[in-house]
Amino acid sequence: MVRDDLERRRRRVATLFTLAVLAVWIVVGIVEPPYLLPGPGDVLERLGAFVIDPHMWVHAGASLLHVVVAVAGSILIGGCLALLAYYLPVFRLAVHGRISPFLNSFSGTGWVLLAVLWFGLGDFTVVFSLAMVLIPFAIINVRHGLDSLDPELIEMAKSFGHSDFKRFRLIILPALTPFLFSTMRSSFGVSWKALLTAELFGGDKGFGRLFNVARQNYDTPLVVTVIVIIVVAVYASDRYLFEPAQARLSAHYEAL
Amino acid sequence: MKHSSLAASIAERAIGEGLPLVFLLAWWLTARNMPDFILPGPVQTGETLLQLFIDPAFVGDTLISLARVVASVILAVILGGALAALARYVPSSAYAVQRRVLPVLNSFPSVGWAILATFWFQPDSGSVIFVETLILIPFCAIALTQGIADMDRELLEMGASFSRSGFKIAWKIALPMLLPYIMSSVRIAYGVGWKIALVSELFGVDHGLGYLMLRAEVIGNTAMVFASCFAIVIIFVAGEKLIIDPLARRFAVH
Repeated sequence: MVRDDLERRRRRVATLFTLAVLAVWIVVGIVEPPYLLPGPGDVLERLGAFVIDPHMWVHAGASLLHVVVAVAGSILIGGCLALLAYYLPVFRLAVHGRISPFLNSFSGTGWVLLAVLWFGLGDFTVVFSLAMVLIPFAIINVRHGLDSLDPELIEMAKSFGHSDFKRFRLIILPALTPFLFSTMRSSFGVSWKALLTAELFGGDKGFGRLFNVARQNYDTPLVVTVIVIIVVAVYASDRYLFEPAQARLSAHYEAL
Repeated sequence: MKHSSLAASIAERAIGEGLPLVFLLAWWLTARNMPDFILPGPVQTGETLLQLFIDPAFVGDTLISLARVVASVILAVILGGALAALARYVPSSAYAVQRRVLPVLNSFPSVGWAILATFWFQPDSGSVIFVETLILIPFCAIALTQGIADMDRELLEMGASFSRSGFKIAWKIALPMLLPYIMSSVRIAYGVGWKIALVSELFGVDHGLGYLMLRAEVIGNTAMVFASCFAIVIIFVAGEKLIIDPLARRFAVH
């Protein structure tokens, strides 16, 4: 009873908070010129125009493609490096003590600017810069997955005479699946943040490119519209796509 | 058996330590046949890197970036801690903090803050710190929420039975219990701070490593782009090994 009451109060306060923020935004939007802060009405109007403009869908599609290719590429490369260190322990220090910390501390913006100098503007520059940011996440997550493998299960598979490849396919890969999924989930969130910088300096299309044009034209409504789209897309995909999928995956693997 | 494990350990160390040398050699060989604006050699990059730490013309940029990151980390820990405490001690505000403020801050693109800051403020250290702090707050708030949840309630109750002063209980009992989590949020924020420091220095400001890097890219000074990135790696590692690690050990839970 007390818990239900607290739950109701929490929901009410959260709703009131959202309404208060919207009210402040409306007031500031009226008081200040649109180039400083467009009101929610202006942004909604711009959002409507964005949705019916096919040109904007090209940018949205390009950004999504950049993210998907970079996430897939980084999981593949990072996963291979982590597996290299697992199967050939002589590479452990090189992978986990050298490559991973170096990539992890190297600035994402640095990769973008270097990629522009090396490859010019284009899709490859954006995907390369994003992948370089994401690879250490994949190495670290896959390593955690490999560390958590049940050694007795591996021993049992060995005693049954399974080949290395069969052991990988039947035991290691299924055990790694939740970790690969969590890598994909966290990489997806991080990549949207890094994407805009990569596209802003290195891309010829995508949300970052739109940002660049909007910045030069002081088109704040477009900047805020793109931000709203990204915040909503990242939040909604995590909450309604990745979270339930991960819960289902965890339940499946715990039941095994 | 013992002999083979020793050999494996030596081989692992040799490959680990040899990798940077192989990388440097490959870099040097490749750069010999490339123009400087595509790939400067390691020696030229090393000289430029040294300039960032000893040349008075550049050392100011390095120090100002460091100062901005440190200020942002401190502010983010304070504000993130305040949000975590609000959600815990004013229970009705928990969803407003955890389901509204933090998810929005967490998914807000950093370059979005950077561009909005150029519209809202004069580009200076204040606007850079504003951007960096807003990006770091969710990381600190999440770590400190866990810290507050893990605090020993019985110890706090015992403190309350000995003293009525809330400040004394917070200072003498709650803060020491939170210190490991504060250090963990400092560590996370310091790492992320250096990654996003450059983004917030790319627009408008005329000092800092981000500004130097963007200017270098525009004029094709790739050695400076590399040097700025390596300078960040060095400062990041030095800060972690010389300051954060010893502090974290000092405040670790025993």
